[in-house]
Amino acid sequence: MIADLLQFHVLVPWLLAMLFGIFVGATPGLTATMAVALIVPVSFYMPDPNTGLAMIIGVSFTAIFAGDIPATYLRIPGTPASAAATLDGHELAKQGRGGFALLIDLFCSCIGGLVGVGLLIMIAPQLARFALRFSNFEYFWLAIFGLSMSAVVSSGNTLRGLISAGLGVLLATVGLDVVSGAQRFTFGNAELMSGFGFIPVMIGLFGVSEVIRSVLKSPSMKDSTTKTKRSNDSVGAALKAIWRKKLTVVKSSISGTVIGALPGAGADIAAWAAYGMEQRTSKDKESFGKGAIAGVIAPTSANNAAVGGAWIPALVFGIPGDAVTAIVLGAFMMYEIKPGPLIFQQNPEQVHSIFLIALVTQVLLLPCGYLGLKTFGWILRLPRSVVMVAVLVFSVVGAYSLRNSLFDVYLVAGFGLVGFYLESQKAPLAPLILGLILGPMVEENLRTGLIKTEGDITPFFTRPICAVLVILLVAAFLAPVVSGWMRKKNRA
Amino acid sequence: MKIEKLNTKISATISIAGIALLGACQPASGPSTGTAADFPSKSGSIICPWAPGGGTDRMARFMADQLQKELGKPFVVVNQTGGSGAVGHSAGALAKPDGHTLTMATFELSTMHWMGISDLTWKDYAPVAELNADAAAIMVRSDSPWNSLKDLIGYIEANPGKLTMSGTATGGAWDLARAGFQLEAGIPVDAVRWIPSKGSAPSIVELLGGHIDAVCCSIPEAISQIEAGQLRALVVMSPEKLSGHPDLPTAIDEGVDWSAVGWRGIVAPKGTPPDIVKKISDVCSKIVASAEFEEFMRKNGFATEWKSNEAFAVFLEEQDAQWKDVIEATGYARQ
Repeated sequence: MIADLLQFHVLVPWLLAMLFGIFVGATPGLTATMAVALIVPVSFYMPDPNTGLAMIIGVSFTAIFAGDIPATYLRIPGTPASAAATLDGHELAKQGRGGFALLIDLFCSCIGGLVGVGLLIMIAPQLARFALRFSNFEYFWLAIFGLSMSAVVSSGNTLRGLISAGLGVLLATVGLDVVSGAQRFTFGNAELMSGFGFIPVMIGLFGVSEVIRSVLKSPSMKDSTTKTKRSNDSVGAALKAIWRKKLTVVKSSISGTVIGALPGAGADIAAWAAYGMEQRTSKDKESFGKGAIAGVIAPTSANNAAVGGAWIPALVFGIPGDAVTAIVLGAFMMYEIKPGPLIFQQNPEQVHSIFLIALVTQVLLLPCGYLGLKTFGWILRLPRSVVMVAVLVFSVVGAYSLRNSLFDVYLVAGFGLVGFYLESQKAPLAPLILGLILGPMVEENLRTGLIKTEGDITPFFTRPICAVLVILLVAAFLAPVVSGWMRKKNRA
Repeated sequence: MKIEKLNTKISATISIAGIALLGACQPASGPSTGTAADFPSKSGSIICPWAPGGGTDRMARFMADQLQKELGKPFVVVNQTGGSGAVGHSAGALAKPDGHTLTMATFELSTMHWMGISDLTWKDYAPVAELNADAAAIMVRSDSPWNSLKDLIGYIEANPGKLTMSGTATGGAWDLARAGFQLEAGIPVDAVRWIPSKGSAPSIVELLGGHIDAVCCSIPEAISQIEAGQLRALVVMSPEKLSGHPDLPTAIDEGVDWSAVGWRGIVAPKGTPPDIVKKISDVCSKIVASAEFEEFMRKNGFATEWKSNEAFAVFLEEQDAQWKDVIEATGYARQ
């Protein structure tokens, strides 16, 4: 069966599609969702359905990895799932080790992907049944847990971090309210009705603000944006660094798969959760945000694992776990593949070929990703003036192409100024992004949950998964207090 | 010095390339003569008010391909999303009325002006062709005690406000469909608690997980669960029985004179020359009769509903009146 896949007429479009995924994923503003949406119509021209499926699946995994490339080098996430890579990955790049961080990133993406697909193959029905137990009550706590992560990513700047997160939550209230259907802060403007798009805000905050800063502060526009890499940062060294953190890789991949399998959460939340868990359980908390290897490994393992995880509800129920799988499911219909409860009995060979394609994709990710990160690294060695113009152009084109709206371009410009101002006041930007993603998740799930219970809040605490999440949350909050108290007591 | 010049050149090249890219996103403009004989005189576009990859987008892309084949000029799909469909619909209404910019309009056009989301009505367009209509249906879990619509209605009447149902956001197509059904059946709208959600897919997950009691959405959206025996459809709100589901009663069969469909169709901006509208409508009728169209609809699980430009206008007028009553009765109307 694998021989059917490793043929010239399958492999060539497959690899081309994956390279396309690298390009789209690495371009700020062009998301993994868009990469898949663009490749689907092309895949229909392939004579062999396996080729088409390979192209679609290949693109979805590579785009998520490629989003980490600009996040690491330029601190501009290529896709929302890569926002966490702007922390330690970018710190390493500032130390001249961006290439090294990305090598680690690539291998961990591959491992995370393999774990995600592996769990999909082995325990998809069980994980899917677990995911079914999640409802608004559980998602509410999951989102609260995510929001608490803003303390983790504020690196010593807790008050400013909270302000930044609060601003994100506030911005997220603009638009049409899903629960009541009411308009909030739209001033009758149709563009504002869908709220501040997450992607234009992200491009503005990270990308445009970076351009402004570099124009104002950089001593010379002729310098390149990246420093040369250290001689000892080879593939071998990267693999060794990963081996030292093997537990982190495994933990993050598994948690990433589980979060990805929840229909109400995706790769972005999986990456943040993995980063937060790693920081909180680490013995060396202070190194996070300053270029910790574990801070690179955790989010990148988790986001690629989450792509595999999102396939679990998609295949088992025929229900998409995120925007990417939603498009893929649409494409499957055109191939007359009907994911859902019956596919495992009626078309096991189809399921097997999807599994096989997903596994081989992880292996093909290594050469494609390597080519991508080398090319990008080479581009970034061009003078700063060239790179910054390119960043700005792609930011604007990317924002416009999202929904063919000039409004989003203005958003990019506006949030570029906001980002620049916030950073000049030493306010971290990552919490704002967290607030923007998770604010609506907290609100909608709380209110919908209360509609279900007719105003009773006890289920938020008494449902088994809720109770576990609450205990974890309280423990995470109390741990620093208790450990500080213990230390004092020991000293006394 | 040389290097600096080169840098400036590279920067300039990138900027120009970017501007060119931006330009490429806009539909090509050119002189238009405005007669049916030489329509289309340039490439055209279909505005899709919903995101890439969804059902409406797939439909728009298929039609763009087919129009290109029939009319000999490229048609591209432009996704202008946001505002619950208001952004794309409004862009389509404001486009130059020469037939080169069409819109894949959806059900929301009949409801959004009553709800205060937009001022647009179907009268801002020249209707071209209705292509698809999927009727609302009510589904429950197979292990639920409700085997028929009568069981369900009996339960709702005995326990008003207890049953939870979902399928879309508050005031969305399926919420309005079930509210209209309740009004027609003489059940107060708030006797069923509508649980807002982001769409039919997450609602089906909630139903399977036992977190809600029923879902209202179209049959194709839940077909894999129905075929697997996990969900049971109790009623479909179509004017006639669905061809693939002869045992599924319609609301009318059950004595409730009500039908509710989510429709999709092509519209042109108001003021488009009638002969051009007629020409596109005729081309659409040819496409709808083709084997490719039949295959596309079957694979996607969409129900074909053909109406030419005049019939489509009559249908839109009826829809407008039907939803006005429901939206006023539910209290979703614009204040």
